[in-house]
Amino acid sequence: MTDKQDLLGLFKTVAERVDRRSFETVTRDSVITDLGVDSLSMMQIVGEMETELSIQIPDEDLVEIVTVGDLCSKVERRVA
Amino acid sequence: MTQAPVTRMEERLYRIYMEFFEKAERERRWSVFDDIPWDKVNKECSDELALCAETFASVEMYLPDYVAGGINVVRPWFGRAWWQANWGYEESKHSLGLGEWLMRSGKRTKDQWFDHYNTISQKQWEAPFQTARQMTCYGAVQEQATFVIYVKHRDFAKREGDEALYTLYDYIARDEIAHTRFYQEVVTALLEEDREGTLADLAKVFAEFKMPGVDLVPDYDERILQMRDQGGVDRDLFIRKVYLPVLKYLNISRHEMLAAQRKALQDRKDAREVAAE
Repeated sequence: MTDKQDLLGLFKTVAERVDRRSFETVTRDSVITDLGVDSLSMMQIVGEMETELSIQIPDEDLVEIVTVGDLCSKVERRVA
Repeated sequence: MTQAPVTRMEERLYRIYMEFFEKAERERRWSVFDDIPWDKVNKECSDELALCAETFASVEMYLPDYVAGGINVVRPWFGRAWWQANWGYEESKHSLGLGEWLMRSGKRTKDQWFDHYNTISQKQWEAPFQTARQMTCYGAVQEQATFVIYVKHRDFAKREGDEALYTLYDYIARDEIAHTRFYQEVVTALLEEDREGTLADLAKVFAEFKMPGVDLVPDYDERILQMRDQGGVDRDLFIRKVYLPVLKYLNISRHEMLAAQRKALQDRKDAREVAAE
């Protein structure tokens, strides 16, 4: 099982790969749009995380994601 | 005289167009003069409603450029060239209808309307993508986005008690979703012909997508803020109502798009970094 810290770390790693800049200061409370991540890059980050963890988040869940923590929670539910 | 054989793709595109055209002729035609309840214009409506209608009209007023750009790209394909001509006719009613509403509501005079066209025509729209396939993918995405925004503003017109504008937006939205479906049917055919190449083009279009009025319509940034506020257009609307529905209709999984999108997003990032230097 992946713990919360791992998921935040995975988010940062994937976001850095997709957006080619540092996400070091990001926390679970960070609002994704405030990070300067546009909606398409966000879809890419989610997709890369799904691939890394071999999970699939339903499309209807994706539109509820506002913060990094929201995304991590959706992922946690799938890997638990 | 020897004749080039009709390819299966040409025949299919012609058939898609004829099905679209038949449905349009039998079920979807409407008249600016007869079908809008002009006596139900609300002359007390807000200036914001008028500004949004004028913004829609402004984007629609680049029609000569859209038609010229589009029809030359697809000229060799019978079905698609005729589609462009019909599309131009349908779109022409949108700006004319919106202009009628602006004048009949008293929000703009005839002189202001003509002045606005003169201002609009100072700038020229250029096709954002170079190939017919990329432009078809762009059409599938852009028409879906336009449909969604008109529906949002149809609700705004209703809230303002303007039945004429509500009806006009309703007819326009019906046209836009029909256009979306045509483009999506063509993209489906293109995917069957060359899935990898078409996915790459669709990914490029998503990565570089912008609405046609950007950088053209006067005061676009201020206008678009009003459009978002009044229409309730939030930031995730594009994903929820455009990106995911387009993929679903085309039977493309998010993960299949992911692979194609990876390169497109990297290219976009490279271009932005070069531009910033």
